[in-house]
Amino acid sequence: MNIDSRAVVRTPEQPALRSGALQLKEVRKRFLFDQRELTVLTGLNLDVHPGEFLSIVGPSGCGKSTLLRLIAGLDDDYEGHIALDGSRVAGTSLERGLVFQDHRLFPWMTLEQNVAFALIRRDMSAAARDRLVREHIALVGLSGFEQAYPHQLSGGMSQRAAIARALVNEPKVLLLDEPFGALDALTRVHLQTELQRIWMSQGSTMIMITHDVDEALYLGDRVAVMQAHPGRIAHIVDVDLPHPRDRAAPLLHRLKDDILAELTATDAPRSEAVVPLTRRRSG
Amino acid sequence: MSAARIDEATLRRSVMVASPLAVLLAWQVLSAARVFPPEVLVSPQAVLAAFGQLTASGELARHLGESLQRLLWGFSIGSGAGLLFGLAAALSPTFARLFDPLFQALRQVPVLAFIPLLILLFGIDEVFKIVIIAKAAFFPTALSTLDGVRGVPKAWFEVARIYRTPLPSLVWRVLIPATVPAVLSGVRLSLTRAWLVLVAAELIVADSGIGQMMEMGRQMFRLDVVMVGVVVCGVIGFALDRGFVLLQARLLRWRAQPAGAAA
Repeated sequence: MNIDSRAVVRTPEQPALRSGALQLKEVRKRFLFDQRELTVLTGLNLDVHPGEFLSIVGPSGCGKSTLLRLIAGLDDDYEGHIALDGSRVAGTSLERGLVFQDHRLFPWMTLEQNVAFALIRRDMSAAARDRLVREHIALVGLSGFEQAYPHQLSGGMSQRAAIARALVNEPKVLLLDEPFGALDALTRVHLQTELQRIWMSQGSTMIMITHDVDEALYLGDRVAVMQAHPGRIAHIVDVDLPHPRDRAAPLLHRLKDDILAELTATDAPRSEAVVPLTRRRSG
Repeated sequence: MSAARIDEATLRRSVMVASPLAVLLAWQVLSAARVFPPEVLVSPQAVLAAFGQLTASGELARHLGESLQRLLWGFSIGSGAGLLFGLAAALSPTFARLFDPLFQALRQVPVLAFIPLLILLFGIDEVFKIVIIAKAAFFPTALSTLDGVRGVPKAWFEVARIYRTPLPSLVWRVLIPATVPAVLSGVRLSLTRAWLVLVAAELIVADSGIGQMMEMGRQMFRLDVVMVGVVVCGVIGFALDRGFVLLQARLLRWRAQPAGAAA
């Protein structure tokens, strides 16, 4: 209903949507693994525009999730520069929300308590808190389930609840780490549509990691394609289609073919990836 | 339709009493058939009569009161200390390294093996009994607390970090609820162990308590009194455990439970 009007509102001219610019410069991440240094991410440069929906796809092991953890501030040990609206990312912050692949709701709290838990650091009246919680539960379409415990919710509902919890702080950037990866295909399609609606009604920048190219293209203003060994962004695809989108759009299918071709072509360096293993054995 | 469901529930409940009834029947048949001398295998009626006598004289209530008081003290001290120990060992690797060998070794020694030493140290007064019950209650709680705290998924701490949860809230709203299920199952085991050891200790050395009542009955060849003790021990132990399970269900009502299991 009001989706279309929102779509019109979401233009770069809108100053209210101006915050949420994320900048990554020459980001490099190394792990010490088995007393060997393993470069997980290297030379990573990325500019995420305010209010943008950016999808990141890549083969498993390309460091997608590591990248998201760095942006979230769960891991501070990296080289290079990550900044949100000009200030360097250090530690976690309520400005950066995160939705995990598993919903990670606390089983001993009701849906309402789980969402309110995100506001634990916020100084606000109980009434304001309740209102925020109620609004965000409504936003993800779970009104009426406020008192339900997580075990009473389906996988899709739990993931909606996790999105509500992540959004209740109105973060500048919402990070989504394969949020629908554990759901069945039908629920996934349904939640993708829902996420599009939610994104259009919020001002947040969203960065979503996925291994589902359809999902990446359907939601993303841009799709960053990553490659592994070491993890880096190969290139960024512009998806020049207005939201809300039609899954059947020919452009999406054309782009999907391109991206899939690229991801499967990177099979070649896989043999190279085996090398460290053999080397480790001899060393 | 609802009548059918009630019938089903009654049926399920009557199945539960079937096995005690069968034992009672076998007992009755055996004693009536005089397979054993009646002074040895006393009849259920004689036991019931002795129960009536002991209740009327207040003797049973006095012994039971003494026993339960010891249980309360020993169990509280033991499982409380177990909780603290488990927490410390889970949170501090140094503490764990320091005490683990001693803990594991002491755990393998039966409580009753400490009785001679404890009698020499504490005499046969209350302290001795409370110490031995506390020892029995300590280990299950300590172990389950240790495992419970260590087993809290890292994932939940990450959620807490994302929302910048302050430490007190982290402890009260995440750490404690996450460990409660494991801790409670250890405490339940502690309670059972404490009750068993209490009765056993009273059988060996005591001047009062349900175990001592049984021991006196044995010495005076009053096996009806002994049997009253056996039945009371079973019933009290059963009631303690049932009560604890109900408490557990109440505290953990957020957990998925099979339909109808919640009391």
